[in-house]
Amino acid sequence: MVSKKVTIVNPSGVHARPASILSKAATECSSEVFLIHGEKKIQPKSILNLMAAALKKGTEIEVQCDGENEEADLKKITELIESGLGE
Amino acid sequence: MEKVYVSKTASRGIAVAKIYKYEELDLSPVQCKIPEQDKEGQVSQFLDARESVRAELEKLAVTNEIFSAHLEMVMDFTLEDSVKSKINNDAENAESAVSEAIAEVAAVFEMMDDEYMKERAADIQDVGKRLMAQLKGVQLPDIGNLQEEAIILAKDLFPSDTVKINTDYVKGIITEEGGVTSHVSIIAKNLGIPTLVGVKGILGKLNTGDTVCMDAGEGVIIISPEEAVLNEYKQKKQEYEDEKQRLEKLRDKPVITKDGKKISLCVNVGNAEDIERALPVKMDGVGLFRSELLYMENTHFPTEEEQFQVYKRAAELCTQELTIRTLDIGGDKELPYFEFEKEDNPFLGWRAIRISLDMKEMFKEQLRAILRASAFGNVRIMFPMIISVEELREAKAVVEECKKELREEGKEFCENIETGMMMETPASVLLAEEFAKEADFFSIGTNDLTQYLLAVDRGNKKIADKYSYFHPAVLSAIKHIIDAAHKENIKAGMCGEMAGDVKAAEILLGYGLDEFSMSAGSVDYIREELLKLTGNI
Repeated sequence: MVSKKVTIVNPSGVHARPASILSKAATECSSEVFLIHGEKKIQPKSILNLMAAALKKGTEIEVQCDGENEEADLKKITELIESGLGE
Repeated sequence: MEKVYVSKTASRGIAVAKIYKYEELDLSPVQCKIPEQDKEGQVSQFLDARESVRAELEKLAVTNEIFSAHLEMVMDFTLEDSVKSKINNDAENAESAVSEAIAEVAAVFEMMDDEYMKERAADIQDVGKRLMAQLKGVQLPDIGNLQEEAIILAKDLFPSDTVKINTDYVKGIITEEGGVTSHVSIIAKNLGIPTLVGVKGILGKLNTGDTVCMDAGEGVIIISPEEAVLNEYKQKKQEYEDEKQRLEKLRDKPVITKDGKKISLCVNVGNAEDIERALPVKMDGVGLFRSELLYMENTHFPTEEEQFQVYKRAAELCTQELTIRTLDIGGDKELPYFEFEKEDNPFLGWRAIRISLDMKEMFKEQLRAILRASAFGNVRIMFPMIISVEELREAKAVVEECKKELREEGKEFCENIETGMMMETPASVLLAEEFAKEADFFSIGTNDLTQYLLAVDRGNKKIADKYSYFHPAVLSAIKHIIDAAHKENIKAGMCGEMAGDVKAAEILLGYGLDEFSMSAGSVDYIREELLKLTGNI
């Protein structure tokens, strides 16, 4: 398993549109993907789970990837979050 | 006749029309426990219904991206797992399994303390309604079928409803639920339909065919109006529309005085979104970008990169002059992640440029970000709360230091970026001639200037009548600032409330003010007044 910490940069947090982009990208990953936020373990492959986490701007989360393609998947997800999820 | 007062205006305007009550179909599930052998059939019923909804949403998603999110939701595996588990483990039929699963997810969103996320429960319910209608084999009611002018009355309107709104027929919208940030509010504003939301109990008071007058700006609904009131509102509606049209027509007219000077009309903004919203009024630029919002709505001092992204986007959106005021905190503005020492007189305390010059590294991060953004538009830097020439020189020296660093790093920026200052302290007024020799522009901040000159706290209700920018001392200070600027051939603008006050336009124009910067909502009115005063209309 590999992991990396990133910060949400979207001005209004991870709302419907960015959540949709992140969820789509996570679904394309062959690894298991989790976002760790404090005590919570979020499954970004589920947009409902992701939106329900209500991640706000400035929140630091840990992205965990586990699977054969974990390095590439981690890079893809963290870069996507850092780039502002299409916003 | 009955009057209902409402506080939540989603979109301004006046409407007089008959009510069309948009009633919801009964989509409540028929509940029954199912025998073991039916479970598989119920699961495939759900999957079939989901497939049809997916196809519907895919078509809608082409023209409206909100439905892409709906598409993701309906295909979501947590929803699927939840429905399947209710069928397989709790022996529920497909209808009640879907209905419960949707209600559970929606409840999670409704419980959030964030207004925006609460509204997202509506998205989930919208998806749920589609699934239920499919399972029941019924057609959802359709606003698109409306054949005459009407005010839509509904419990709430969902994105799949609002997308069908035809502005030829939908003259107003009233909903019992919903907030000003909900879908219906955003869409109604875009379409320019007068809309009131969150009107508790209104569904019980009105039926299809009832005549209603609504003034969304004032927040009034008049049920079954008397003839005289009806006519009064018809006239008000006409006046409102005439005014809107009249003002919109003026948007392409520049304000030029008889002696050939062009007056700039600019907007005050707090973020890039404000600029985007202001674009339709056709302003000449941004006279004040309040960078402090970037600091206040954050969990840490925003980094150079974070700020650069924001300023760059602002510069690209604005395409014209963009005046960024460096951090103006202290006084009544605090930061959630920084402990300010308690002061007896915060308005006379450690604030604005005083903080920036004391916390040089933080100041440099901001200046570097602004400088880098200057490669993408006509960006200007403005320092707040300056009282001495030394301060201005020190601030400008930090700008030069940042420029040198960026040059060495090979990063692009505009070498000739203008640096100006807010004129808001009595000291800056008295030394205006000196400042004009070293600043590239002035911007008069009438809010602080008035309170400092008159020694009147603008937040104190007891002395509120003494706070006035029409006080002769304030007017004379303004004139002095403008004259001093013109003597050195620099421009004097104003970004305080006074610049957006129609009553003040004549005197400011007469004093020779070069730039009026105000909230976007005031631009149309000030433009009209200035065009009249300069004899252009």
